[in-house]
Amino acid sequence: VLADRTPFEDLYRDYLGRIYAYVRAQVGTSADAEDITAQVFMNAYQAYARFEPRNTTPAAWLFRIARNATLDHFRAQGRRDRLRRTIEHQPQLEEDPAGQAEERIQYRALLTHVAGLPERQRDAISLRHSGLQFDEVGKLMGCSEDAAKMLYHRAVRALREAVRKEAR
Amino acid sequence: VSEPEEELEIQALQRELDDAFATTRPRPALEDELWLRIQSSRPAPSRLRDAIAGFFQGIRAVPAVPAAAVAALLVIVIGVGIVALSGVRFGPGGASTASQYNGSESDQLALGTFGRLPTPVFNATSKTTAPNATGAGQADLAAPAQLTWTGKLDLKITSAPVFRYREPTTNEADQFASALGAVLRERPPGFLGMYSATDYTLKVRGTVQLPPSSPAYFIFASATMPPVEAAGASPQDLADIFLAQHSLSPQWRYTVSVDGTGDPVRVRYERQFDAPGYGAANLVDINGNRYGLEVDLSANRPVVASGVLPATLDQAGYKIVTADEAIRSALASGGTAPAASGAAIKLNQAELVYVLVPAGDHSFYEPAFLFSGQYQLNGQTLTKRVLVPAVDPSQRTP
Repeated sequence: VLADRTPFEDLYRDYLGRIYAYVRAQVGTSADAEDITAQVFMNAYQAYARFEPRNTTPAAWLFRIARNATLDHFRAQGRRDRLRRTIEHQPQLEEDPAGQAEERIQYRALLTHVAGLPERQRDAISLRHSGLQFDEVGKLMGCSEDAAKMLYHRAVRALREAVRKEAR
Repeated sequence: VSEPEEELEIQALQRELDDAFATTRPRPALEDELWLRIQSSRPAPSRLRDAIAGFFQGIRAVPAVPAAAVAALLVIVIGVGIVALSGVRFGPGGASTASQYNGSESDQLALGTFGRLPTPVFNATSKTTAPNATGAGQADLAAPAQLTWTGKLDLKITSAPVFRYREPTTNEADQFASALGAVLRERPPGFLGMYSATDYTLKVRGTVQLPPSSPAYFIFASATMPPVEAAGASPQDLADIFLAQHSLSPQWRYTVSVDGTGDPVRVRYERQFDAPGYGAANLVDINGNRYGLEVDLSANRPVVASGVLPATLDQAGYKIVTADEAIRSALASGGTAPAASGAAIKLNQAELVYVLVPAGDHSFYEPAFLFSGQYQLNGQTLTKRVLVPAVDPSQRTP
């Protein structure tokens, strides 16, 4: 059944970096990015037998899983934060220093600005700069290719404003 | 801001985003750690099925094996598979390579050898690296790589030293921290200790078995860490001063590389080992990347420093394979390459390097050959790297 498709390990090794970068641009810490990336590939591994290459590209398939996992993370985090605010005053989780030391990010400040954008803008930028075409971005975000382009361009302008504001 | 200027600004920002996404990567160890987790999540029957399938592939490559021998071997393979999957371990303390040294280590040292060496695992080292992954797009599907050798490997040595160190203990980690003026706070899982000093936190870790990673220390500056004041100093000068101030200057041979393309600026001290008759051989990880000690500087302020934990090394000479044998191994290792590359790659460079081979209580830095060659894909220049062990197979555990 799987003879006509790329071995999962090749897919995994080819896309791990891009999926991690996509996730990392949206979440605050390398630890969260690792957890979500791990979840993405565990889910993908379980679902690979059902992946149909004629209907979608491996990239679009993997990024759909990554997007869902990231949204799940934010939903769960929202619940945790609300609970925390309600019942106790805990400090924000700090970035794991070992993770910070070992991951490779050259544009940490820029990605922090990306992470600060509204959800759909952040998603549009992250998907587009992870190498997806606008039609794939649109499909993943549930809108047309043109709408995805508009959303992306609005997002880049918002990002530029955020970068400028900090520079002032 | 006028409209053309605004457009230029947007374009520059988009280029920066391209770079940001292409260069953001997880810590190197994650790839193999996560793959192991994925593999271990598979049900045992499918692992056994793969083991048997692999066995039959091996039989196909040797057509002259008599059927009776095949049947006998199959019984052994199934038996071994069942034992492996059941988690049963034989012998006291398991079957780790380190147990070979129990009791007879002093004799082996007296002979100037460490006995048979463990074989390095390079299954993930036939690597393709892209300076900019964005744009590779969906043409990334992998195909078996056809490797050819077009370079020249002029090897004049027939043996090379192997280095061995004993796994650091919590006591040794504490002594290291104490010499820096840091005080033990706790022993978090996976670390020998976590320590505090006036303006930084120190973590010390032992050898990581898989993927192989050397014992290491990590210094994380706190907000009170002052910048290094030295007018006109280069990043390397600043890193040198910081390391000297903390008695962390490398006590081994190294070359320095500075990555100033981002913030923080990263100063790398890449460790080398002396191979008599060959010269300096770089220490590399299983991806072929050099390592040793790194200092990250942001606005002249050290923010992170991490390096191989100092250890006493024993040394013994071992016979190594010939250049021809190394080349044959490299070409046979194959690996994969993006299908759109045509999957034909010319390796044209080779160097002797050292790799970590963890082996329990004692681990080794063993010589290996790092082959590399570049090829083009979608207008990008990619590098294929292949690592092969250098120690002669007769000197290694089967």
